[in-house]
Amino acid sequence: MALLFKTHLRLARASIRQNRTRSFLTCLGIAIGIASITLILSLTGSISSLIRHEATNIGSDLIVVRPTHSKDAVTSIVEELTSANSFEKSSLSLLDVSTISAVEGVTATAPIAISTNTLMNEENIVPSATVVGTTPEFHTIEPLTLKYGVFLNDKNSANAAVIGQQLALELYNSSNPVGRTLSFYGQRFIIVGVLDEIEESVNFDNVNFNKTLFINIETMENLMGYVQIQQINVRALNTSLLEPIAGNIATALKENRYGDTNFSVSYGDSISHPASSLLGIISGMLALVAGISLVVGGIGIMNIMLVSVSERTHEIGIRKAVGASARNILMQFMLEAFILSFLGSVLGLFLGYFLAFLVSLITPFSPYASWEIIVVTVLSTIIVGIVFGTYPALKAASKRPIDSLRHLQ
Amino acid sequence: MDDNIVIKMSGLTKRYGYGDTASFALQDFDLTIKRGEFVMIMGPSGCGKTTLLNIIGLLDRATDGEYYLNGEDVSDISSARQARLRAKKIGFIFQDFNLIQNLTVIENVALPLVYVNRPRTVRLKAASNALKRFHLGEREYYHPSQLSGGQKQRVAIARAIVSDPEIILADEPTGNLDSRSSSIVMDELKAIHEEGNTIIMVTHNPALTVYATRVINMLDGQIATDVKTVSDYNLPQPINAKTKKHRRRKSHKGEK
Repeated sequence: MALLFKTHLRLARASIRQNRTRSFLTCLGIAIGIASITLILSLTGSISSLIRHEATNIGSDLIVVRPTHSKDAVTSIVEELTSANSFEKSSLSLLDVSTISAVEGVTATAPIAISTNTLMNEENIVPSATVVGTTPEFHTIEPLTLKYGVFLNDKNSANAAVIGQQLALELYNSSNPVGRTLSFYGQRFIIVGVLDEIEESVNFDNVNFNKTLFINIETMENLMGYVQIQQINVRALNTSLLEPIAGNIATALKENRYGDTNFSVSYGDSISHPASSLLGIISGMLALVAGISLVVGGIGIMNIMLVSVSERTHEIGIRKAVGASARNILMQFMLEAFILSFLGSVLGLFLGYFLAFLVSLITPFSPYASWEIIVVTVLSTIIVGIVFGTYPALKAASKRPIDSLRHLQ
Repeated sequence: MDDNIVIKMSGLTKRYGYGDTASFALQDFDLTIKRGEFVMIMGPSGCGKTTLLNIIGLLDRATDGEYYLNGEDVSDISSARQARLRAKKIGFIFQDFNLIQNLTVIENVALPLVYVNRPRTVRLKAASNALKRFHLGEREYYHPSQLSGGQKQRVAIARAIVSDPEIILADEPTGNLDSRSSSIVMDELKAIHEEGNTIIMVTHNPALTVYATRVINMLDGQIATDVKTVSDYNLPQPINAKTKKHRRRKSHKGEK
């Protein structure tokens, strides 16, 4: 059996070499499919590794509370895509923040309430800037360093604001606007601090701090009448107590809302999953498209193998006459299809990483390699080879020897 | 059953089509062939010669009747078993040579050994020996398209004998050859026969019957005449398979 396999391998190699251009084009079909899958997996992998990296920077003693909606998956996907749920009120409230603070073992609590609003001063107007309402404890949880001034604290006035580096430049054309004012929601705020530029623009808060204005969450509520709390970051006393503390938080929050659980409490690795499922939806759809191109590539293989089988009918007849069984012929053609898809996937893997490298030049997503990507590639190769190689090979194997011998070359 | 009987067919029928359109290539056909015979089958076109050869060679199946090859009932065996027997017991020689164009001469000759699982070196060595025997040793790495018709047919004969089969089937092996190449090919077949091989050959050419030990004339799917020119007793070396192989090995050693 092993001997025969070697022979078939040699045969397949010879046949692929004989039709170099044809084989290359067939492989290319597969390669494009595999390359897109690799690219997508590499990108999503790199995004979550960025987030994971940030989460470890902050420390492993973090608990994150996020609102959830009790809707079915399809509705929530549609809402994500149309951003309809940004008009829905978050299920977390300031009461929850104080409830969490009171839980034993919690050392710091920082809500992140997001509002997108127009900011202006004498010089510039920035429409739709991100304004985050939080508490001074935010600074002790997030590893943010200040370039100028101080972060929000109990001593500054209610109208103090801290500004991200990029937003500062946009508003004041200056990197140090400490002491200057701006207007938000008709209220004057005074800049007390400027953040250092942060390189990683993706994080588990889903906020780009470089383009953000931080104000006190109570001021925000007074001003706007409500706060939209996207998540509450909690620092625990001790890493080993994460689980019981998270449990206590969940129980306390449940009591707040009479047993309803429209929130999630996560810690450890699960924090690093992007809070928004949008990333998942987009990458899933891209993967679907890539899968379709893989199927098209597979059909290419099937097509070429069918041509090859009909071109070699006479040869099949001769082989059968000298003793090849249907299984031998089946194996020969299956192996050929398999090698085509294997070559295609190797090519696609390189192509995919090359594209990921190109993408990394213009985005913060560095190419991300993992055994999962290799496994997915290899598995899809095997599946494509089997699915699209079987029919032509069966066709070859089922040919009757005398008919094939009569078939003219 | 007699040890020396290679092929025994009785009541063999091959029908094409059904009902009104049914036609019979073979009808109630009986034939027994002993080891060491050189049988020539003659007859007009469409009398069933090639069908008979295909059935003997397990490339085709009879519609009805019994067929024993080497004492084994092969009328109803699976196609996998058919293939296995073709690889081990039967060598084919065709009118249009049927060599694989994109394989070299030596690879073509070694082809039957692929399907009986011989290692590559063993295959190529056996093929090389067979080719030397037919004076084609220098053309091992030629492609079939670079050979003349007579050379191609000698390559095909080398392929037919390389796996040491029980019977060699030849379907008009000289049909596409000029008279000079024909006689060379026939001399080679005669030499193979004299080593004790059983050969069944279909031909249109009455002049070739001088090589045969038995001439069968067919008409409408049945035997019209069956003449033995050599008695069973005097067949060249009526030997059994074991001694035949033994002797063959010895002669290979002698060649080196």
